[in-house]
Amino acid sequence: MSDDAVTSDLTRSNGFTRIKESGYGGVFLACAAVTLLTTVAIIVTLLSDALVFFSEVPLTEFLLGTDWSPNPRGRGFSFGIVPLVIGTLTVTVTAAFIALPVGTLTAIYLSEYATSQVRAILKPLLEILAGVPTVVYGYFALVYVTPALQATIFPQLGTFNALSASLMIGIMTIPMVSSISEDAMSAVPDSLRQAGYGLGATKYEVSTSVVVPASLSGIISSYILAISRAIGETMIVVVAMGSQANMPPIRETLLGIPYINPGDVLFESGMTITVSMIQIAGGDLTGGTLPYDSMFALGLTLFVITLIMNVLSDLIAQRYREAY
Amino acid sequence: MAVETDTDTGFGEVSRLRGTVFEYLSLGASVVGLFALAALLIYVFVDAFGLSTASPAWLLTYFLTLVVPYIGFCLYSISDRAFTRKIALALGGGLVVTAVGFTAIETLLVSIPGLTWQIAYLFLVATPVVASVTFVASRQPLGAAGFGLVGRLVGGAALGCAVAIMFIVIDRPLWFLVYTFGVLPAGGVYAYTSRREIGWPTAQATLVGLFGLGVSTQLRQILGIYPSDGLIYLWTLAVPLAAGAAALVTLRDGSRRAVAGVAVTTLLGGGGGFVLGSSALPTGSGVIIGAATVAATAVYLVEAVDNEGRRGLLLPLLIAGGALAGAAVVQTVGIPTPEMWLTPAYLTSAPSNEAANAGLYPAVVGSIIIIAMVAVLSFVLGVGAAVFLEEYAADTGLVGRLTRLIQINIANLAAVPSVVYGLLGLGLFANLLGFGFGTAVTAALTLSLLILPITVISAQEAVRSVPDDLRQGSYAMGATRWQTVKNVVLPEAMPGMLTGTILALGRAIGETAPLIMIGAATTVFSAPAGIWSRFSAMPMQIYAWANYPQAEFRYGVVAAGVVTLLIVLLAMNGTAIIIRNRMEREH
Repeated sequence: MSDDAVTSDLTRSNGFTRIKESGYGGVFLACAAVTLLTTVAIIVTLLSDALVFFSEVPLTEFLLGTDWSPNPRGRGFSFGIVPLVIGTLTVTVTAAFIALPVGTLTAIYLSEYATSQVRAILKPLLEILAGVPTVVYGYFALVYVTPALQATIFPQLGTFNALSASLMIGIMTIPMVSSISEDAMSAVPDSLRQAGYGLGATKYEVSTSVVVPASLSGIISSYILAISRAIGETMIVVVAMGSQANMPPIRETLLGIPYINPGDVLFESGMTITVSMIQIAGGDLTGGTLPYDSMFALGLTLFVITLIMNVLSDLIAQRYREAY
Repeated sequence: MAVETDTDTGFGEVSRLRGTVFEYLSLGASVVGLFALAALLIYVFVDAFGLSTASPAWLLTYFLTLVVPYIGFCLYSISDRAFTRKIALALGGGLVVTAVGFTAIETLLVSIPGLTWQIAYLFLVATPVVASVTFVASRQPLGAAGFGLVGRLVGGAALGCAVAIMFIVIDRPLWFLVYTFGVLPAGGVYAYTSRREIGWPTAQATLVGLFGLGVSTQLRQILGIYPSDGLIYLWTLAVPLAAGAAALVTLRDGSRRAVAGVAVTTLLGGGGGFVLGSSALPTGSGVIIGAATVAATAVYLVEAVDNEGRRGLLLPLLIAGGALAGAAVVQTVGIPTPEMWLTPAYLTSAPSNEAANAGLYPAVVGSIIIIAMVAVLSFVLGVGAAVFLEEYAADTGLVGRLTRLIQINIANLAAVPSVVYGLLGLGLFANLLGFGFGTAVTAALTLSLLILPITVISAQEAVRSVPDDLRQGSYAMGATRWQTVKNVVLPEAMPGMLTGTILALGRAIGETAPLIMIGAATTVFSAPAGIWSRFSAMPMQIYAWANYPQAEFRYGVVAAGVVTLLIVLLAMNGTAIIIRNRMEREH
């Protein structure tokens, strides 16, 4: 420990006091070390079972297989992550369509247009959106949003569908985008805005052409964090999207270019990476079976994806930050 | 539209249209999520309280006996004519606007399912009006006194309930022995030695306490007869609570009669709970709830009766009287009551496959026990880590590198999906360490690690906000680093740390995915008997019920569960905000 040479020299630095002091320091260090141990424990836990899994199922089959059936159906297991990735992508992209524009506009409004009174009311209210338990959002999606959508715009919507789950995830991640983006926009120095006005720009032009570009690194890093949150979101999807690992039918346009109709994945039940983990956990937990190990393989995939996105968001925020 | 025409300055014309549209677009974006959530919340409240089945007469009765007197009290305490006129206008005008607007939408556009204009008025006009008058009145002496008393009553009862629930999983005879032979003597030794300034009070008290602990664990195996739960609670909780409340009053104003009064009323509260406990409540719980409620209110009353706003202390009577009057009118006139799902019976009965009998009791107990354990674990770990990172860490050398690593690591941990923490709990706590699948201990450890990044970050902010002059002052007096932390930093940062921990606990209480991963039961029919037994939690029960296809479950039982969870969350966050505001006022 870097001992406090400056401060403790002034005090009774006899042996007992020293031992006592470093004892307390050690206790605090131990508490801080728990956070490091958590990361180590996560990695070791995930890796140890995932390695068992990958010794049984080759990595290529896991990454490229198009059939996910961890519960033996007739001829046995099949662990192909592609349908799960499609489900996760569907949900994430749809949620991003809501959260990113709405969150950005909110951040612009809060940082550029809102009076300080309005900001003082709106900011804590927006945080409520992220504070509602996700299982409650899932229940809302299943019981209120889906029937409302069926009755109005999309009569073909299934009881369990990706659309209403994604809508809820989008609403939930709005404050993530807005609060980090707003911090970045508020950090833009006023002199830049004044320079814009000096050139004859309107408030709209200053907001969109000066403030947003100047805070772009913060905005993008908030996007990445929100998307990473949407990828890892579990309960909304479990409750509202159901659990069928479907491969959407691949259609062909007139020119023979294959494509996937968004309606085929959005209006139907589907399965994300997180949902499949929950589904397996509902069955067998004692360990030693292939489905049990596959949970950890999926968890590892999820952990790696979110870790990469988090590091990426950090890098962007630091690398491209305009230094004022 | 607005094209500026008076530009003879030669700078050309500037269209305001684009800017105006953009401003309103971004304003709309800021509130769209909130409106969506508000609409969903209205629906879930309507479903949980069965308001769609409420007759207009029923709504009117309670509006007149409860809401109107309450608003009247707030306006009286504000006593500002202009404000009163504004509120009256909002209530009256809102009535007309809602009735006409709602009917117009229903007849001309679409029918709105599940709502009537009366309910719309209740949520869109009455609730915001009540919220705003409450907010303004709470800053007046009269209102502050009234809300303070109501807060003590509700808070004391809630705290008593939580403690009573925690005692379900504690071995009560052992607690009785430990308290009698360990805690009590140790406290006595500490008080005596620190008063006389002899020896090391902490060390001696710890020694006595440990000896008492040893004796009581031995005695627990020998002794066969113990007092009833009610008596144990009276002796181990109500008596010290009365003594503590009396001590608090002595510290504040030292009046002997007040002290005696507080002690006696608290004991009476406990005794009254004893009587009540034998009839309505589970055995012994009444003692804890009664003593906690009375102690909290008695301490408050001693101070508040001398204040200028003491007439505000009648607010609880006003509310209780209003509720009784409403019930009496409903009874005598014979107004049909709505089918409520969220009732006291719902909170005190076990889950069932029949919607009418279904209850949340085991899940509530499970949630409270887990949260209590998580609170202790994450608070200790979070504060410890924050103190290390802020007070002990260096910028350079090995410790500096370690600090940076921990700091980056915490930021990354906060972004790990909760279901991955569930895998950690499953692999490490449940399987490797053998704490069992779906036990309360496994769940508490998993959730503690899950919220640890949040608690550490908020505790760090609290420690950082302690002014540096205080630290320097302490060092200048010759204090060591630990003494400075103990006597200056921790007391100053405590409210901030508490706020952060409570907010993080709010996250933990709603988490479901990690609980599923560690094998928590979706439905448990009795409250857990100990911390090693299987349990259910409120969000788990909601998850289980949400899959039931019957409409009574979908729109009734689950809605009641959701509202219970949301009310608990609101209460926790409200407490955190009150603590934060107190702290801000003091500085």
